[in-house]
Amino acid sequence: MLEIIEALLASTLEYFPALLFGALGATLSERSGVVNVGVEGMMRAGAFCAAVAAITVPTPVGVLAGMAAGGALAAVHGYLSIRWRSDQVVSGMALNLVALAGGTYLLEALFGPNGTTPIQQLTRWHLPFLSQVPLLRAFSGHSALTWLALTLPFAFHLMLYHTPLGLRLRAVGDKPHAVATLGLSVPGLRWLAVVGGGMFAGLGGAALSTAVLDRFEQHTPAGLGFMALAATVFGRWTPLGAFFASLFFAAGNALRIGLASSAPGLAEVVPQGFLLALPYLLTLVLLAFQGKRTHSPAALGTPYEQESR
Amino acid sequence: MGDRLRAVLPSVLSVLLALAVCWVFIALTRDAETATGAYLHMLRGGLGDWSAYLDGGRVTLLTRPLGEAAIKAALLLFTGLSVAVAFKVGLFNIGAQGQMLVGALAAAVVGAQLTLPSALHIPAALLAAGLAGGLWALIAAVLKLTRGVHEVISTIMLNWVAVSLVDNWLAVGPLRAGAGTNLSTTGTEQIAPTAQLPRLMEDLSRLHLGFPLALAVALAVWVWLARLRQGFETRAVGLGAEAARAAGIPVGRRTLEAMGLAGALAGLAGAVLVLGTEFRYPGSLGAPYGFDGIAISLIGGNHPLGVALSALFFGVLRAGGTRMQLLGVHKSYPELIQGLALLFVAGRLIWLALLRRRRLAPPAPHKQPEPSPEVPRA
Repeated sequence: MLEIIEALLASTLEYFPALLFGALGATLSERSGVVNVGVEGMMRAGAFCAAVAAITVPTPVGVLAGMAAGGALAAVHGYLSIRWRSDQVVSGMALNLVALAGGTYLLEALFGPNGTTPIQQLTRWHLPFLSQVPLLRAFSGHSALTWLALTLPFAFHLMLYHTPLGLRLRAVGDKPHAVATLGLSVPGLRWLAVVGGGMFAGLGGAALSTAVLDRFEQHTPAGLGFMALAATVFGRWTPLGAFFASLFFAAGNALRIGLASSAPGLAEVVPQGFLLALPYLLTLVLLAFQGKRTHSPAALGTPYEQESR
Repeated sequence: MGDRLRAVLPSVLSVLLALAVCWVFIALTRDAETATGAYLHMLRGGLGDWSAYLDGGRVTLLTRPLGEAAIKAALLLFTGLSVAVAFKVGLFNIGAQGQMLVGALAAAVVGAQLTLPSALHIPAALLAAGLAGGLWALIAAVLKLTRGVHEVISTIMLNWVAVSLVDNWLAVGPLRAGAGTNLSTTGTEQIAPTAQLPRLMEDLSRLHLGFPLALAVALAVWVWLARLRQGFETRAVGLGAEAARAAGIPVGRRTLEAMGLAGALAGLAGAVLVLGTEFRYPGSLGAPYGFDGIAISLIGGNHPLGVALSALFFGVLRAGGTRMQLLGVHKSYPELIQGLALLFVAGRLIWLALLRRRRLAPPAPHKQPEPSPEVPRA
């Protein structure tokens, strides 16, 4: 029993960083008032560029390239939605489609259909003091990104709730006109949040192609970006909420993979399709229970116009 | 600049720019000759090989490609209309994929399990698909109205629930062709011949009844939105739910109707796929037609007739895409063009600003009333 829990925990921690970075990226962007449904596309760009860069440069540098790619895609989103006040959901979906088709095209053109050439995975940290202890053993053997994912939400929380910058970021998503009255730049703060959020999303994608896998494949990130978006909403647009929501979804992911492979007898009682649908059904149910009390930033999705109101 | 022109021009320019950008992209990665050749191949694959035909080739050189383009266009039109109708009531339907999937399954089951004369069998299968898709979409609408769950999130989740339950359970389990035997097929039973959509050109092409059906539905949706009171009220809800409620419009009811209709349209896309070309539920839809619907709808300005034009255009590109592979250019290229065109459409205010600057060059225009950054009106 203990071993099963240990295996599930280890598997949870594999997928957790990608989800968390995506969710934190979306949280950052949406806290400033800019909807970001382009997380999936930004993750895909990050995963692709990180894997391609890591063929020639050390993998950690490749991860940085992935972050830059996510940030670049987010800059397009920022240009359309901040500078030109475009519909933010439309712009985000457009980026998803471009990343999907563009990634497919570039992958096939450069490497063929089976994914990029294998790269050096990010170093996995085997921690001697943890690998002796049952259960905690699951924490050993992950890359630095997992540890970053376990700590970053708390740093993020401090930034958002205990620094002047955090106050401004929250304010710009709730009452941009009030922020403007203080002589602060609404577009400037939103640019910071959107591009920063895109870099986190890119990091999430890079976590998939450099830590979970050792290459970029056609289906990376396979909807994990949309799941991260759901974690943002489920986490009520807070870093710690995103932390627990991502952990929950990653556990759901691990559970269904684990159940499908480790308990073949179960598949005869409960159809595998149900297990696969489980995390999504749970999300729907939980979102429904979360109820009508809205926690979204007040100005979310509303383009800022200086002269309105 | 007239209102109509202002609604249409950004889309046209966006598509042209996307075509140009992709041409440059191929020219840079390969060379200019390949790029031009690839586009010509794409057109031949979608509109027919006219030069070969005029040189004395068979008429199928024209009818086959045109038929394929029309088949693709019918699917894109149905999912595009689905997204457009939801937009009109102010909802972003990202779930057309899932709705199409349950619709396709329903059509396959009715098509295979019932024994009916053709005149009843086809309508029954279409109805089942529409109902299934509509009910699937209504889950999201009800969650939105009663629990405040954002439809973008709920429809994405419902997509995956549909894929998991249908592709990973029903189509490989209870509904698999020859379930309970040792046959290792994927997908459901073949539908009965009475449920197949009749071909319109016999053996000259695969073109079937689904294409005129899609055009007729687009026309009906247009009439509903532009001419009927219900359609007007639906649009009013989309433009501002509070104002509509104040005017005495039953907001909840119009929302449910529109979302149900959106799901039904996506379900019909699934039915047309199954009854027209696949003749069974094949185990997976094979392509993200539902997501294509988002692009088709927005490029078509969410107007039923605009959506029809955009579906026809991208139907031609899609059908021609496979032809590009003859030159070693990947067949996903039309999707890239489609995605870029959507991205450029998202920046339609940029287009409008550029156009205005050209027009009003001499007297520096003082701030003109901007059109709302929302997606264009009908």
